[in-house]
Amino acid sequence: MKKTMSWITAAVLGLAILAPMAMAQDPGKEVLKITLPKPMFVGTPKNIRTANLEMITGKPRGPFMVPVGTVLLSAGKPVAASDKEPVIGEVAFVTDGKKSGEDGYYVELGPMLQWVQIDLGKSQELLAIVAWHYHSQARVYRDVVVQVSDDKDFIGGVTTIFNNDHDNTAGLGAGKDKEYIETFDGKLFDPKGVKARYVRLYSGGNTSNDMNHYVEVEVYGLPAK
Amino acid sequence: MTNKAFRGLFVCTILGALLFRVVRLDVRPMHHDEANQAVKFGDLLERGEYRFDPNDHHGPSLYYLTLPAARVAGEKTLAGLDETTLRLVPALFGAGLLLLFLLFAGGLSRETRLAAAALAAVSPAMNYYSRFYIQETLLVFFLAALIAAGWRYARTRSAWWALAAGLSAGMMYATKETSIILFAGLAAALGLVFLMDGLGKRRDGVVREGAAWVWREARTRPPRAFHVTLFLIASAVIAVVFYTSFFQNPVGLLDSVRAVAASFNRAGHPGFHAHPWYYYFQILAYSKTAGGPVWSEAFLLFLAAAGGIAAFGHDAGKDGSPRFLRFILFFTVITAIVYSFIPYKTPWNILPFYLGLVLLAGNGVGLLLRISRFKLVKILILAALVPGFVNLAVQAYRADFTAHSDPANPYVYAQTSPDFLKLVAAVEKIAAASPEKEDLLIKVIAPPDETWPLPWYLRSYSRVGYWTSTEAVGVLGDAAVIITSADNVEKTTLALGDGYQQEFYGLRPEVVLALFVRRD
Repeated sequence: MKKTMSWITAAVLGLAILAPMAMAQDPGKEVLKITLPKPMFVGTPKNIRTANLEMITGKPRGPFMVPVGTVLLSAGKPVAASDKEPVIGEVAFVTDGKKSGEDGYYVELGPMLQWVQIDLGKSQELLAIVAWHYHSQARVYRDVVVQVSDDKDFIGGVTTIFNNDHDNTAGLGAGKDKEYIETFDGKLFDPKGVKARYVRLYSGGNTSNDMNHYVEVEVYGLPAK
Repeated sequence: MTNKAFRGLFVCTILGALLFRVVRLDVRPMHHDEANQAVKFGDLLERGEYRFDPNDHHGPSLYYLTLPAARVAGEKTLAGLDETTLRLVPALFGAGLLLLFLLFAGGLSRETRLAAAALAAVSPAMNYYSRFYIQETLLVFFLAALIAAGWRYARTRSAWWALAAGLSAGMMYATKETSIILFAGLAAALGLVFLMDGLGKRRDGVVREGAAWVWREARTRPPRAFHVTLFLIASAVIAVVFYTSFFQNPVGLLDSVRAVAASFNRAGHPGFHAHPWYYYFQILAYSKTAGGPVWSEAFLLFLAAAGGIAAFGHDAGKDGSPRFLRFILFFTVITAIVYSFIPYKTPWNILPFYLGLVLLAGNGVGLLLRISRFKLVKILILAALVPGFVNLAVQAYRADFTAHSDPANPYVYAQTSPDFLKLVAAVEKIAAASPEKEDLLIKVIAPPDETWPLPWYLRSYSRVGYWTSTEAVGVLGDAAVIITSADNVEKTTLALGDGYQQEFYGLRPEVVLALFVRRD
C-alpha cells in the first residue's frame, strides 16, 4: 500500500512538473502576442522658464486640528545647516516668516544630502511642522526626513516624524512615507505632540536639479511653561 | 592676408567647429522633439517605412540623411541606435556649413569669410542646435548652399551651378516645408538689390560702372532659359523624390503643400509657443536669471550691425562685392522681420536669419580691419576683438556641455531634465533584476506631451504600452513598472493599493512623472 502511495505521489509530482513544459511545447499553441498601444506623436511641448504658482496635486490640504493655545514656535528662531555657505540666500530665511515663491526668499544648499536645523530654545510639545522647500515650480524633493530631538547633534533621543527615503539613501533608515509634489500650501508633518527642542529636516536634491531649497519651515506647538 | 595664411586659419576654424559640434553628443538628454524624430527614423531604418506627416515633423530629408550614418555605425534597429549617431547628422551639417563660406569668394572678402566662419564655429546658437536632432541646421546648410550656388552661377553662368542651386532649393523644401518663407526672403532681397541698381542708373539709361544688373563681377545678361529650367527641374525632382518617400507614397508631395497650410495655421494660432516680436533678439542680446551667468551674443549683433551698414558703401575689401553684401543684408533683415512677426516662435527658428547675421558680422570684422592699412593697427584691432570671440566660445561650451538642459540657458526650450535619466536608470535596474529582463511589462499613462522622450529611452523593451488615462488601461496590477504623469498619480495609487513603491522624477521644469514599482 505504502509503495502504491509512493508511486501515485511521484506520478502526481511528475505531472505537476511536466504539465507546464508539455503545454509550452504543444505544437498547436503559441504565446499570445498582445499589441500594446503605441505612443502618440505630438509637437514641441510647452517651455517653462518663469516661476508660477500653479498647483498640480489638485486638492488643497484639509483642516488640521490642534489643541487650543497652539502657537508658532519657530518664528525668528536660529537656524543651522549642513552647508555652511549656502549657494543662494541665508539660512535665516527658513524662519523669517516670508513664504513667497519668488527669487530672494529661499535658501539654496548644495547638492547631495543636506539638512537645516531649527533651535526652538527649549524642549516643547510639537503639534505641527510645515515645510516649504520651493513652491514656485512643481517639483519633488528626495529623501525628505524630518526628525526632532533634544540633542543638537541628533545622536541620542531622536524621533523621526517623516521619512520618504525608501531605499535608505540618506543612511537614516528606510522610510515608508511617500514622496510628494511641492505646492504653495507646503507639506504638513504631524509630530503627534512629541517634545523636542531641535527640529531637523533632511533632503537629497529634487526632480529639477541636485540642489536643496527651503523657503520656510514652521513649527507649531504648545509653549513650555 | 596671404592665401596660405587664409587656408591654414580656415582649416583650424573648421576643426574647431567640428570639435565643438561632435564631442560628447550624448551628454544632453533627448528632447521631446528629438525623440519624436528618432522613433520616426526607427521605422525607416527597421522597415524602410516613411510617410510624410503633414501635421508635424517637417520634411523627410533628416530621416533619409540619417540612414548613411546609421549604416556606417552598424545600427540596424531602433533599439540599436544611439544619440551620437542621430545627432552626428546635424553636427556634420553644422560644421560643413562653414565650408560653404568658401564659395562666397568674390562676394565676401577673405577676411570676411574667415571671420564669419570663426563666428559660426564659436556661436552658441549654431553650436547648440547643431547638436540637436531636428531639421533646422540642415535647413541652414541648404540655404547657404543655395545662396552660394546662386552666387557662383551669377559669376560664371555655368549650368552646373544652376543645377547645384536647384538641388539646394529642393533640399531646403525637403527639409522644411516652411522654407518657402526663405525663398520669398531671397527673392525679395534680390528684388531690392535690383531696385537699388535701378536707382543707380544715369538719366541716359547707362548703368554706372559697377552697377551692372546683377553683380560687379557677373555677366550682364540675364540667366538663360535652359538654366532656369534646370534649376526648376532639379528642385522639383528633389521635392518629389523625398516627399513621395522615393515614389512609395505619391500623396506625400500633395501633403507637403497641405503642410504649408498647416504651418501657416499654426503660425497664426501659436498656443503656448506665442512669444513677443522681440523674442529672438532678446535671446541673442541679453539673458540672465537669478544666480545664473549672463548669456549674450551682443558682440555678434554689434559686428553684424557694423557689417550691415558697411554694405551700403562701395568698399567690400579685396575680392568682396558690396552688392552681394547688400543682398545678404536685405535677406537677413526681411527674414528677421518675418520670423519676428510670426507669433509662433521656437528658438531654433532663429537660425535662418542668424546665418545672415554671421555673414554680416564677418563683414563687420573685415571693415574694422580695413580701417587702417598699417599692420600694427590691424593687429591691435584683432587683439581687441579676441575677447569677444573667446566670450562666445565660452558661452558655446557652456551651452553644449554644462548648461545644456538648464532653463536659464536661453537656447534651452522645453528640454528634458537630466533627472529624467534617473527614471530611465531605475527602470533599467528593475528590468535587470527581473526574470523578464527586456520583456518586462511597462505601462505608461500620460498625455502625449508628457510621454516623450520615454518611447526613445524605452525602445529596447518589447512590452511597453502607452495610454493617456488610468481608466483606459484596464488592468494595472499585471505590470511591474508603471509610469504616470502627475495628473494620473492619484487614480493609479488608488487602483494599485500598497503593493507598489512610488517615486517621482522630473521630466521637464514643472512636469514630473511618477514611477510605480511593484514591491515584489
